[in-house]
Amino acid sequence: MCKPKRDPAFRTIPVEEAVGTTLAHDMTEVIPGESKGPAFKKGHKITSGDLCRLMRMGKNNLYILDLANDEVHEDGAVLELAAALSGPGVTFSASPAEGKLELRAEYPGLFKVKVQALEEFNMLQDVMCASIHTHAAVKANQSLAATRAIPLVIHRTDLDAAVNFAGENYPILSVKIFQPLKIRLIITGNEVYKGLIKDQFKAIVEQKTTDLGATLEEAVILPDDRDMISAQIRNYLEKDTDLIITTGGMSVDPDDVTKAGIEDSGFEQIHYSAAVLPGAMFLLGYHKNTAIMGLPACGLYHKTTIFDLILPRIMAGEKPGPRDLARLSHGGLCLNCKPCRFPACSFGKAG
Amino acid sequence: MEDFETLLKGSAAAHGHLCPGQVVGVRMAMEGCRLLGLDNPRELPQIKTLIVYVEMDRCATDAISFVTGVKLGRRSLKFINNGIMAATFVHLETGKAFRIVSRETARDLAHEYAPEIGDKHQQQLEAYKRMSLDDLFTVEEVRVTVKASDMPGPTRFKAVCQDCGQVVRDKREVMKNDRILCRPCALGTYYQPVTPQGKKNV
Repeated sequence: MCKPKRDPAFRTIPVEEAVGTTLAHDMTEVIPGESKGPAFKKGHKITSGDLCRLMRMGKNNLYILDLANDEVHEDGAVLELAAALSGPGVTFSASPAEGKLELRAEYPGLFKVKVQALEEFNMLQDVMCASIHTHAAVKANQSLAATRAIPLVIHRTDLDAAVNFAGENYPILSVKIFQPLKIRLIITGNEVYKGLIKDQFKAIVEQKTTDLGATLEEAVILPDDRDMISAQIRNYLEKDTDLIITTGGMSVDPDDVTKAGIEDSGFEQIHYSAAVLPGAMFLLGYHKNTAIMGLPACGLYHKTTIFDLILPRIMAGEKPGPRDLARLSHGGLCLNCKPCRFPACSFGKAG
Repeated sequence: MEDFETLLKGSAAAHGHLCPGQVVGVRMAMEGCRLLGLDNPRELPQIKTLIVYVEMDRCATDAISFVTGVKLGRRSLKFINNGIMAATFVHLETGKAFRIVSRETARDLAHEYAPEIGDKHQQQLEAYKRMSLDDLFTVEEVRVTVKASDMPGPTRFKAVCQDCGQVVRDKREVMKNDRILCRPCALGTYYQPVTPQGKKNV
Protein backbone atom coordinates (compact mmCIF):
# COMPACT_ATOMS: atom_id res chain seq x y z
CA MET A 1 0.00 0.00 0.00
CA CYS A 2 1.25 3.49 -0.77
CA LYS A 3 0.01 6.92 0.12
CA PRO A 4 1.11 10.19 -1.53
CA LYS A 5 4.49 11.24 -0.21
CA ARG A 6 6.81 14.15 -0.58
CA ASP A 7 8.90 14.22 -3.74
CA PRO A 8 11.96 12.00 -3.64
CA ALA A 9 14.85 13.99 -2.30
CA PHE A 10 16.84 14.06 -5.52
CA ARG A 11 19.25 16.90 -6.01
CA THR A 12 21.81 17.53 -8.71
CA ILE A 13 25.13 18.74 -7.40
CA PRO A 14 28.63 19.18 -8.84
CA VAL A 15 30.77 16.14 -8.10
CA GLU A 16 33.32 18.19 -6.13
CA GLU A 17 30.56 19.09 -3.66
CA ALA A 18 29.37 15.51 -3.24
CA VAL A 19 31.52 14.37 -0.30
CA GLY A 20 29.29 13.12 2.51
CA THR A 21 26.22 12.78 0.32
CA THR A 22 24.46 9.56 -0.62
CA LEU A 23 24.17 8.25 -4.17
CA ALA A 24 20.62 7.84 -5.39
CA HIS A 25 21.41 5.02 -7.80
CA ASP A 26 24.13 2.59 -8.89
CA MET A 27 26.94 4.17 -10.88
CA THR A 28 28.37 2.04 -13.64
CA GLU A 29 32.02 2.14 -14.57
CA VAL A 30 33.16 0.95 -17.97
CA ILE A 31 36.81 0.11 -18.44
CA PRO A 32 37.14 -0.54 -22.19
CA GLY A 33 38.04 -4.14 -22.91
CA GLU A 34 38.24 -5.01 -19.21
CA SER A 35 35.09 -4.58 -17.23
CA LYS A 36 31.67 -3.04 -16.87
CA GLY A 37 29.96 -2.96 -13.52
CA PRO A 38 28.76 -0.82 -10.66
CA ALA A 39 31.70 1.19 -9.31
CA PHE A 40 29.43 2.62 -6.63
CA LYS A 41 26.21 1.17 -5.37
CA LYS A 42 23.04 3.07 -4.73
CA GLY A 43 23.13 4.37 -1.16
CA HIS A 44 26.94 4.71 -1.13
CA LYS A 45 28.13 7.63 0.98
CA ILE A 46 30.69 9.53 -1.07
CA THR A 47 34.11 10.12 0.43
CA SER A 48 36.87 12.42 -0.74
CA GLY A 49 38.69 9.35 -2.01
CA ASP A 50 35.85 8.66 -4.44
CA LEU A 51 36.03 11.99 -6.25
CA CYS A 52 38.94 11.19 -8.57
CA ARG A 53 37.35 7.92 -9.62
CA LEU A 54 34.03 9.60 -10.29
CA MET A 55 35.74 12.23 -12.43
CA ARG A 56 37.61 9.52 -14.34
CA MET A 57 34.22 7.97 -14.98
CA GLY A 58 33.14 11.25 -16.56
CA LYS A 59 30.82 12.24 -13.74
CA ASN A 60 30.82 16.00 -13.28
CA ASN A 61 27.37 16.14 -11.67
CA LEU A 62 25.57 13.63 -9.47
CA TYR A 63 22.10 12.85 -8.36
CA ILE A 64 22.23 12.56 -4.63
CA LEU A 65 19.68 11.64 -2.06
CA ASP A 66 19.36 13.48 1.21
CA LEU A 67 18.06 10.99 3.76
CA ALA A 68 16.42 12.50 6.77
CA ASN A 69 17.03 10.76 10.09
CA ASP A 70 13.62 9.12 9.96
CA GLU A 71 14.04 7.84 6.42
CA VAL A 72 15.54 4.55 5.26
CA HIS A 73 16.83 3.84 1.78
CA GLU A 74 14.95 1.08 -0.04
CA ASP A 75 17.98 -1.24 -0.06
CA GLY A 76 18.37 -1.09 3.70
CA ALA A 77 14.65 -1.34 4.18
CA VAL A 78 14.21 -4.45 2.08
CA LEU A 79 16.87 -6.30 4.04
CA GLU A 80 14.90 -5.61 7.22
CA LEU A 81 11.65 -6.66 5.57
CA ALA A 82 13.15 -9.87 4.22
CA ALA A 83 14.65 -10.77 7.57
CA ALA A 84 11.32 -10.22 9.30
CA LEU A 85 9.29 -12.21 6.78
CA SER A 86 11.67 -15.15 6.38
CA GLY A 87 11.16 -18.00 8.79
CA PRO A 88 13.05 -21.29 8.91
CA GLY A 89 14.00 -22.58 5.47
CA VAL A 90 13.68 -19.19 3.77
CA THR A 91 16.81 -17.23 2.83
CA PHE A 92 17.67 -14.23 0.72
CA SER A 93 20.59 -12.49 -0.88
CA ALA A 94 22.63 -9.85 0.91
CA SER A 95 22.43 -7.68 -2.21
CA PRO A 96 19.04 -6.22 -3.13
CA ALA A 97 18.46 -5.70 -6.83
CA GLU A 98 16.49 -2.61 -7.76
CA GLY A 99 15.29 -2.34 -4.19
CA LYS A 100 13.86 -5.85 -4.24
CA LEU A 101 14.86 -9.13 -2.60
CA GLU A 102 13.82 -12.56 -3.68
CA LEU A 103 13.19 -15.04 -0.88
CA ARG A 104 14.33 -18.56 -1.67
CA ALA A 105 14.10 -22.04 -0.19
CA GLU A 106 17.08 -23.09 1.93
CA TYR A 107 16.17 -26.78 1.60
CA PRO A 108 13.50 -28.91 -0.13
CA GLY A 109 10.19 -28.99 1.65
CA LEU A 110 6.65 -27.74 1.96
CA PHE A 111 6.29 -23.99 1.58
CA LYS A 112 4.03 -22.53 4.23
CA VAL A 113 2.45 -19.12 4.09
CA LYS A 114 0.36 -17.56 6.84
CA VAL A 115 -1.97 -16.28 4.19
CA GLN A 116 -4.03 -13.96 6.37
CA ALA A 117 -0.92 -12.46 7.93
CA LEU A 118 0.64 -11.94 4.50
CA GLU A 119 -2.48 -10.16 3.36
CA GLU A 120 -2.43 -7.92 6.44
CA PHE A 121 1.27 -7.22 5.90
CA ASN A 122 0.40 -5.91 2.46
CA MET A 123 -2.18 -3.58 3.99
CA LEU A 124 0.62 -1.75 5.78
CA GLN A 125 2.08 1.49 4.52
CA ASP A 126 4.71 1.43 1.76
CA VAL A 127 5.67 -2.26 1.86
CA MET A 128 4.80 -5.29 -0.20
CA CYS A 129 5.48 -8.99 -0.35
CA ALA A 130 4.23 -11.40 -3.03
CA SER A 131 4.61 -15.15 -2.72
CA ILE A 132 3.82 -18.36 -4.53
CA HIS A 133 0.96 -20.38 -3.05
CA THR A 134 1.13 -22.00 0.32
CA HIS A 135 1.57 -25.79 0.45
CA ALA A 136 3.72 -25.89 -2.67
CA ALA A 137 6.40 -28.56 -2.72
CA VAL A 138 9.59 -26.61 -3.26
CA LYS A 139 13.16 -27.46 -4.14
CA ALA A 140 16.27 -25.93 -2.58
CA ASN A 141 16.97 -22.42 -3.87
CA GLN A 142 13.55 -22.17 -5.50
CA SER A 143 12.06 -18.70 -5.55
CA LEU A 144 9.26 -18.42 -2.99
CA ALA A 145 8.46 -14.76 -2.64
CA ALA A 146 9.76 -11.26 -3.18
CA THR A 147 9.52 -8.18 -1.05
CA ARG A 148 10.38 -4.51 -1.24
CA ALA A 149 9.65 -1.09 0.15
CA ILE A 150 7.52 0.76 -2.36
CA PRO A 151 9.20 4.20 -2.37
CA LEU A 152 12.88 4.93 -2.82
CA VAL A 153 12.96 6.01 0.81
CA ILE A 154 10.60 4.76 3.46
CA HIS A 155 9.81 6.37 6.78
CA ARG A 156 11.34 4.55 9.71
CA THR A 157 7.97 4.37 11.45
CA ASP A 158 6.36 2.65 8.45
CA LEU A 159 9.25 0.24 8.15
CA ASP A 160 9.19 -0.54 11.85
CA ALA A 161 5.44 -1.15 11.71
CA ALA A 162 5.91 -3.72 8.95
CA VAL A 163 8.88 -5.40 10.62
CA ASN A 164 7.09 -5.56 13.95
CA PHE A 165 3.96 -6.98 12.36
CA ALA A 166 5.99 -9.70 10.66
CA GLY A 167 7.71 -10.41 13.96
CA GLU A 168 4.42 -10.76 15.79
CA ASN A 169 3.22 -13.21 13.12
CA TYR A 170 6.52 -15.05 12.75
CA PRO A 171 7.01 -16.98 10.62
CA ILE A 172 4.85 -15.59 7.85
CA LEU A 173 6.91 -17.58 5.34
CA SER A 174 8.65 -20.86 6.12
CA VAL A 175 9.61 -24.19 4.61
CA LYS A 176 8.83 -27.38 6.48
CA ILE A 177 11.50 -29.92 5.74
CA PHE A 178 10.46 -33.11 3.96
CA GLN A 179 11.05 -36.20 6.06
CA PRO A 180 12.50 -39.35 4.54
CA LEU A 181 9.32 -41.38 4.91
CA LYS A 182 9.31 -45.14 4.52
CA ILE A 183 6.51 -46.03 2.14
CA ARG A 184 4.89 -49.37 1.35
CA LEU A 185 2.60 -49.88 -1.60
CA ILE A 186 -0.32 -52.18 -2.34
CA ILE A 187 -1.41 -52.34 -5.96
CA THR A 188 -4.90 -53.81 -6.21
CA GLY A 189 -6.80 -55.19 -9.18
CA ASN A 190 -7.66 -58.65 -10.45
CA GLU A 191 -6.50 -57.70 -13.94
CA VAL A 192 -3.01 -56.78 -12.70
CA TYR A 193 -2.83 -59.66 -10.21
CA LYS A 194 -3.67 -62.19 -12.93
CA GLY A 195 -1.20 -60.60 -15.32
CA LEU A 196 -3.83 -59.58 -17.85
CA ILE A 197 -2.36 -56.11 -17.87
CA LYS A 198 0.96 -54.81 -16.69
CA ASP A 199 1.07 -52.63 -13.58
CA GLN A 200 2.02 -49.02 -14.19
CA PHE A 201 1.18 -47.63 -10.77
CA LYS A 202 4.38 -48.67 -9.04
CA ALA A 203 6.59 -46.60 -11.32
CA ILE A 204 4.35 -43.55 -10.93
CA VAL A 205 4.20 -43.80 -7.14
CA GLU A 206 7.90 -44.52 -6.84
CA GLN A 207 8.88 -41.54 -8.94
CA LYS A 208 6.59 -39.09 -7.16
CA THR A 209 7.56 -40.23 -3.67
CA THR A 210 11.29 -40.55 -4.20
CA ASP A 211 11.34 -37.12 -5.84
CA LEU A 212 10.38 -35.74 -2.44
CA GLY A 213 12.90 -37.83 -0.53
CA ALA A 214 10.82 -40.86 0.49
CA THR A 215 11.82 -44.46 -0.04
CA LEU A 216 9.54 -47.11 -1.44
CA GLU A 217 10.40 -50.03 0.83
CA GLU A 218 8.04 -52.65 -0.53
CA ALA A 219 5.30 -53.16 -3.12
CA VAL A 220 2.85 -56.03 -3.64
CA ILE A 221 0.11 -56.72 -6.15
CA LEU A 222 -3.14 -58.10 -4.74
CA PRO A 223 -6.45 -59.13 -6.26
CA ASP A 224 -9.65 -57.28 -5.40
CA ASP A 225 -9.99 -59.25 -2.20
CA ARG A 226 -11.05 -57.30 0.88
CA ASP A 227 -9.48 -59.72 3.36
CA MET A 228 -6.17 -60.00 1.55
CA ILE A 229 -5.91 -56.22 1.26
CA SER A 230 -6.73 -55.79 4.92
CA ALA A 231 -4.22 -58.45 5.97
CA GLN A 232 -1.49 -56.85 3.89
CA ILE A 233 -2.14 -53.44 5.45
CA ARG A 234 -1.88 -54.96 8.92
CA ASN A 235 1.34 -56.63 7.85
CA TYR A 236 2.72 -53.24 6.76
CA LEU A 237 1.59 -51.67 10.02
CA GLU A 238 3.71 -54.14 11.95
CA LYS A 239 6.76 -52.94 10.05
CA ASP A 240 8.44 -49.56 10.26
CA THR A 241 6.05 -47.84 7.84
CA ASP A 242 5.29 -44.12 7.70
CA LEU A 243 2.91 -44.18 4.76
CA ILE A 244 0.92 -46.96 3.11
CA ILE A 245 -0.35 -46.30 -0.37
CA THR A 246 -2.99 -48.39 -2.09
CA THR A 247 -3.86 -47.99 -5.74
CA GLY A 248 -7.14 -48.80 -7.45
CA GLY A 249 -10.39 -50.19 -6.11
CA MET A 250 -11.56 -46.86 -4.71
CA SER A 251 -14.66 -46.36 -6.84
CA VAL A 252 -18.22 -47.69 -6.62
CA ASP A 253 -18.12 -50.92 -8.65
CA PRO A 254 -18.72 -54.28 -6.91
CA ASP A 255 -15.06 -55.17 -7.41
CA ASP A 256 -13.87 -51.96 -5.71
CA VAL A 257 -13.11 -53.31 -2.24
CA THR A 258 -9.91 -51.50 -1.36
CA LYS A 259 -11.72 -48.92 0.77
CA ALA A 260 -13.43 -51.73 2.70
CA GLY A 261 -10.08 -53.46 3.14
CA ILE A 262 -8.59 -50.28 4.60
CA GLU A 263 -11.55 -49.85 6.93
CA ASP A 264 -11.04 -53.42 8.20
CA SER A 265 -7.35 -52.91 8.88
CA GLY A 266 -7.45 -50.72 11.98
CA PHE A 267 -7.21 -47.16 10.69
CA GLU A 268 -9.19 -44.97 13.07
CA GLN A 269 -9.42 -41.78 11.05
CA ILE A 270 -10.50 -42.33 7.49
CA HIS A 271 -11.56 -39.52 5.18
CA TYR A 272 -13.04 -40.66 1.89
CA SER A 273 -13.65 -38.35 -1.05
CA ALA A 274 -12.05 -35.03 -1.82
CA ALA A 275 -13.21 -31.91 -3.64
CA VAL A 276 -10.60 -32.36 -6.34
CA LEU A 277 -10.78 -33.55 -9.91
CA PRO A 278 -9.02 -35.73 -10.79
CA GLY A 279 -9.05 -37.55 -7.47
CA ALA A 280 -12.55 -37.28 -6.02
CA MET A 281 -12.51 -40.93 -4.85
CA PHE A 282 -9.37 -40.36 -2.79
CA LEU A 283 -9.01 -41.83 0.69
CA LEU A 284 -6.81 -40.49 3.45
CA GLY A 285 -6.47 -42.13 6.84
CA TYR A 286 -4.29 -42.31 9.93
CA HIS A 287 -3.40 -44.97 12.47
CA LYS A 288 -1.00 -43.80 15.20
CA ASN A 289 2.01 -42.48 13.28
CA THR A 290 1.17 -44.16 9.99
CA ALA A 291 -0.82 -42.53 7.23
CA ILE A 292 -2.62 -44.31 4.43
CA MET A 293 -3.61 -43.00 1.04
CA GLY A 294 -6.03 -44.76 -1.27
CA LEU A 295 -5.34 -43.59 -4.78
CA PRO A 296 -8.12 -43.92 -7.34
CA ALA A 297 -7.28 -45.30 -10.77
CA CYS A 298 -7.37 -41.83 -12.34
CA GLY A 299 -3.74 -41.56 -11.29
CA LEU A 300 -2.85 -43.91 -14.12
CA TYR A 301 -4.19 -41.55 -16.74
CA HIS A 302 -3.81 -38.06 -15.34
CA LYS A 303 -0.31 -36.78 -14.86
CA THR A 304 -1.37 -34.71 -11.86
CA THR A 305 -4.03 -35.63 -9.31
CA ILE A 306 -4.90 -35.07 -5.68
CA PHE A 307 -1.98 -37.35 -4.83
CA ASP A 308 0.36 -34.53 -5.92
CA LEU A 309 -1.43 -32.09 -3.62
CA ILE A 310 -1.55 -34.23 -0.47
CA LEU A 311 1.74 -36.15 -0.69
CA PRO A 312 3.95 -33.08 -0.01
CA ARG A 313 1.94 -32.32 3.10
CA ILE A 314 2.30 -35.86 4.41
CA MET A 315 6.01 -35.72 3.59
CA ALA A 316 6.27 -32.58 5.71
CA GLY A 317 4.66 -34.32 8.67
CA GLU A 318 1.22 -32.76 8.33
CA LYS A 319 -2.01 -34.64 8.86
CA PRO A 320 -4.58 -33.07 6.52
CA GLY A 321 -8.17 -33.72 7.57
CA PRO A 322 -11.64 -33.38 6.03
CA ARG A 323 -11.54 -29.58 6.18
CA ASP A 324 -8.24 -29.53 4.31
CA LEU A 325 -9.65 -31.83 1.64
CA ALA A 326 -12.72 -29.61 1.32
CA ARG A 327 -10.63 -26.45 1.17
CA LEU A 328 -8.98 -27.78 -1.96
CA SER A 329 -12.29 -27.32 -3.80
CA HIS A 330 -11.44 -23.76 -4.80
CA GLY A 331 -8.74 -24.44 -7.36
CA GLY A 332 -9.36 -28.15 -7.22
CA LEU A 333 -10.33 -28.55 -10.85
CA CYS A 334 -7.50 -29.62 -13.13
CA LEU A 335 -7.82 -28.21 -16.64
CA ASN A 336 -5.95 -31.15 -18.21
CA CYS A 337 -3.61 -28.87 -20.11
CA LYS A 338 -1.43 -30.49 -22.73
CA PRO A 339 1.33 -30.44 -21.77
CA CYS A 340 0.71 -30.39 -18.05
CA ARG A 341 2.24 -27.27 -16.45
CA PHE A 342 1.65 -28.25 -12.82
CA PRO A 343 2.65 -26.77 -10.41
CA ALA A 344 2.68 -23.60 -12.54
CA CYS A 345 -1.11 -23.54 -12.81
CA SER A 346 -4.21 -23.01 -10.70
CA PHE A 347 -4.62 -26.67 -9.71
CA GLY A 348 -4.53 -27.09 -5.96
CA LYS A 349 -4.07 -23.40 -5.29
CA ALA A 350 -6.89 -22.80 -2.85
CA GLY A 351 -7.37 -19.06 -2.62
CA MET B 1 50.70 -7.90 -2.34
CA GLU B 2 53.97 -9.63 -1.61
CA ASP B 3 55.77 -11.56 -4.33
CA PHE B 4 55.06 -15.22 -5.01
CA GLU B 5 58.12 -16.66 -3.26
CA THR B 6 57.50 -14.64 -0.11
CA LEU B 7 53.86 -15.67 -0.04
CA LEU B 8 54.75 -19.31 -0.65
CA LYS B 9 57.29 -19.28 2.16
CA GLY B 10 54.78 -17.75 4.54
CA SER B 11 52.03 -20.09 3.43
CA ALA B 12 54.19 -23.18 3.88
CA ALA B 13 55.17 -22.00 7.36
CA ALA B 14 51.56 -21.39 8.31
CA HIS B 15 50.39 -24.69 6.85
CA GLY B 16 53.24 -26.75 8.27
CA HIS B 17 54.98 -27.93 5.13
CA LEU B 18 55.77 -26.98 1.56
CA CYS B 19 53.94 -29.09 -1.02
CA PRO B 20 52.51 -28.85 -4.55
CA GLY B 21 49.14 -27.96 -3.03
CA GLN B 22 50.69 -24.90 -1.42
CA VAL B 23 52.06 -23.78 -4.77
CA VAL B 24 48.71 -24.31 -6.48
CA GLY B 25 46.85 -22.53 -3.68
CA VAL B 26 49.16 -19.52 -3.60
CA ARG B 27 49.01 -19.08 -7.36
CA MET B 28 45.25 -19.59 -7.38
CA ALA B 29 44.79 -16.95 -4.70
CA MET B 30 47.12 -14.48 -6.40
CA GLU B 31 45.28 -14.89 -9.67
CA GLY B 32 41.89 -14.57 -7.99
CA CYS B 33 42.93 -11.33 -6.33
CA ARG B 34 44.44 -9.99 -9.53
CA LEU B 35 41.21 -10.67 -11.41
CA LEU B 36 39.23 -8.78 -8.76
CA GLY B 37 41.68 -5.89 -8.65
CA LEU B 38 42.73 -6.58 -5.05
CA ASP B 39 46.38 -5.94 -4.25
CA ASN B 40 46.21 -5.97 -0.45
CA PRO B 41 43.38 -8.30 0.52
CA ARG B 42 44.73 -9.11 3.99
CA GLU B 43 44.29 -5.58 5.29
CA LEU B 44 41.60 -2.94 5.53
CA PRO B 45 39.76 -1.82 3.50
CA GLN B 46 40.15 -4.73 1.06
CA ILE B 47 39.79 -7.40 3.75
CA LYS B 48 36.09 -6.54 3.94
CA THR B 49 35.51 -6.85 0.21
CA LEU B 50 36.51 -10.46 -0.41
CA ILE B 51 34.78 -13.79 0.13
CA VAL B 52 36.33 -17.00 -1.15
CA TYR B 53 34.39 -20.23 -1.64
CA VAL B 54 36.79 -23.16 -1.54
CA GLU B 55 35.66 -26.51 -2.85
CA MET B 56 38.21 -28.71 -1.07
CA ASP B 57 39.65 -28.98 2.42
CA ARG B 58 43.19 -29.76 1.44
CA CYS B 59 46.60 -28.04 1.40
CA ALA B 60 45.60 -25.47 -1.21
CA THR B 61 42.82 -24.22 1.03
CA ASP B 62 45.28 -23.10 3.68
CA ALA B 63 47.39 -21.40 1.04
CA ILE B 64 44.38 -19.48 -0.26
CA SER B 65 43.50 -18.46 3.25
CA PHE B 66 47.05 -17.29 3.93
CA VAL B 67 47.40 -15.24 0.75
CA THR B 68 43.98 -13.62 0.84
CA GLY B 69 43.45 -13.37 4.58
CA VAL B 70 40.04 -15.00 4.34
CA LYS B 71 39.13 -17.04 7.40
CA LEU B 72 36.30 -19.35 8.39
CA GLY B 73 35.83 -17.43 11.62
CA ARG B 74 35.56 -14.13 9.78
CA ARG B 75 32.93 -15.70 7.52
CA SER B 76 35.03 -14.64 4.53
CA LEU B 77 36.04 -18.26 3.80
CA LYS B 78 33.25 -20.59 2.75
CA PHE B 79 33.72 -24.34 2.45
CA ILE B 80 31.69 -26.07 -0.24
CA ASN B 81 32.39 -29.76 0.12
CA ASN B 82 32.67 -30.65 -3.57
CA GLY B 83 36.03 -32.41 -3.41
CA ILE B 84 37.20 -30.27 -6.33
CA MET B 85 40.44 -28.33 -6.40
CA ALA B 86 38.67 -25.07 -7.09
CA ALA B 87 37.91 -21.76 -5.47
CA THR B 88 35.65 -18.85 -6.32
CA PHE B 89 36.77 -15.34 -5.45
CA VAL B 90 33.92 -12.91 -4.89
CA HIS B 91 34.23 -9.12 -4.66
CA LEU B 92 31.40 -8.05 -2.39
CA GLU B 93 31.30 -4.46 -3.58
CA THR B 94 31.44 -4.95 -7.34
CA GLY B 95 29.73 -8.32 -7.40
CA LYS B 96 32.44 -9.65 -9.67
CA ALA B 97 33.41 -13.28 -9.13
CA PHE B 98 35.81 -15.74 -10.71
CA ARG B 99 35.93 -19.49 -10.24
CA ILE B 100 39.39 -20.93 -10.69
CA VAL B 101 39.79 -24.67 -11.12
CA SER B 102 43.08 -26.53 -11.00
CA ARG B 103 43.54 -28.52 -14.22
CA GLU B 104 44.09 -32.23 -13.63
CA THR B 105 46.20 -32.22 -16.84
CA ALA B 106 48.75 -30.09 -15.00
CA ARG B 107 50.08 -33.28 -13.40
CA ASP B 108 50.90 -34.71 -16.83
CA LEU B 109 52.73 -31.53 -17.80
CA ALA B 110 54.94 -31.50 -14.72
CA HIS B 111 57.77 -33.39 -16.44
CA GLU B 112 57.79 -30.85 -19.28
CA TYR B 113 58.13 -27.91 -16.94
CA ALA B 114 60.68 -29.49 -14.62
CA PRO B 115 62.40 -32.27 -16.61
CA GLU B 116 65.60 -32.05 -14.56
CA ILE B 117 63.87 -33.21 -11.37
CA GLY B 118 63.41 -36.96 -10.91
CA ASP B 119 61.37 -37.08 -7.74
CA LYS B 120 57.70 -36.83 -8.70
CA HIS B 121 56.68 -34.78 -5.66
CA GLN B 122 59.51 -32.30 -6.10
CA GLN B 123 58.93 -32.21 -9.85
CA GLN B 124 55.28 -31.24 -9.36
CA LEU B 125 56.18 -28.65 -6.77
CA GLU B 126 58.71 -26.95 -9.03
CA ALA B 127 56.64 -27.37 -12.19
CA TYR B 128 53.59 -25.74 -10.66
CA LYS B 129 55.75 -22.72 -9.86
CA ARG B 130 56.89 -22.44 -13.47
CA MET B 131 53.70 -23.51 -15.24
CA SER B 132 51.71 -20.98 -17.26
CA LEU B 133 48.40 -19.99 -15.69
CA ASP B 134 46.61 -21.42 -18.73
CA ASP B 135 48.20 -24.82 -18.17
CA LEU B 136 47.59 -24.69 -14.44
CA PHE B 137 44.03 -23.37 -14.22
CA THR B 138 40.75 -22.86 -15.94
CA VAL B 139 39.13 -19.56 -15.04
CA GLU B 140 35.47 -18.71 -15.41
CA GLU B 141 33.69 -15.48 -14.55
CA VAL B 142 30.63 -16.38 -12.50
CA ARG B 143 27.91 -14.80 -10.42
CA VAL B 144 27.52 -15.76 -6.76
CA THR B 145 24.51 -14.75 -4.73
CA VAL B 146 25.82 -14.35 -1.21
CA LYS B 147 23.00 -14.90 1.24
CA ALA B 148 22.39 -12.24 3.86
CA SER B 149 22.82 -14.97 6.46
CA ASP B 150 26.26 -15.84 5.04
CA MET B 151 27.68 -12.34 5.22
CA PRO B 152 30.55 -11.38 7.51
CA GLY B 153 29.76 -9.06 10.37
CA PRO B 154 27.73 -9.28 13.55
CA THR B 155 25.24 -12.12 14.00
CA ARG B 156 21.96 -10.88 12.56
CA PHE B 157 19.87 -14.03 12.71
CA LYS B 158 19.23 -16.16 15.77
CA ALA B 159 16.66 -18.82 16.54
CA VAL B 160 16.18 -21.10 19.52
CA CYS B 161 15.71 -24.84 19.01
CA GLN B 162 12.32 -25.77 20.40
CA ASP B 163 13.62 -29.22 21.29
CA CYS B 164 16.98 -28.75 23.02
CA GLY B 165 17.01 -24.98 23.57
CA GLN B 166 20.25 -24.47 21.66
CA VAL B 167 20.66 -21.07 20.00
CA VAL B 168 21.02 -21.47 16.25
CA ARG B 169 22.77 -18.68 14.36
CA ASP B 170 22.63 -17.52 10.76
CA LYS B 171 19.37 -19.13 9.64
CA ARG B 172 20.60 -22.71 9.96
CA GLU B 173 17.44 -23.71 11.81
CA VAL B 174 14.94 -26.13 10.26
CA MET B 175 11.15 -26.25 10.41
CA LYS B 176 10.08 -29.81 11.15
CA ASN B 177 6.57 -30.80 12.16
CA ASP B 178 5.70 -27.17 12.94
CA ARG B 179 8.66 -26.84 15.30
CA ILE B 180 11.77 -24.74 14.82
CA LEU B 181 14.69 -27.07 15.44
CA CYS B 182 18.46 -27.07 15.26
CA ARG B 183 19.88 -29.38 12.62
CA PRO B 184 21.07 -32.04 15.08
CA CYS B 185 17.56 -32.33 16.53
CA ALA B 186 15.88 -32.22 13.13
CA LEU B 187 18.25 -34.22 10.99
CA GLY B 188 20.42 -36.25 13.35
CA THR B 189 23.98 -35.86 14.49
CA TYR B 190 27.38 -36.70 13.06
CA TYR B 191 28.34 -38.00 16.52
CA GLN B 192 26.91 -40.53 18.95
CA PRO B 193 26.65 -39.75 22.67
CA VAL B 194 28.80 -42.08 24.74
CA THR B 195 26.69 -41.86 27.87
CA PRO B 196 23.11 -43.03 27.60
CA GLN B 197 21.94 -40.01 29.58
CA GLY B 198 23.15 -37.73 26.83
CA LYS B 199 24.67 -34.36 27.70
CA LYS B 200 27.18 -34.33 30.53
CA ASN B 201 30.05 -32.12 31.40
CA VAL B 202 33.05 -34.41 31.53
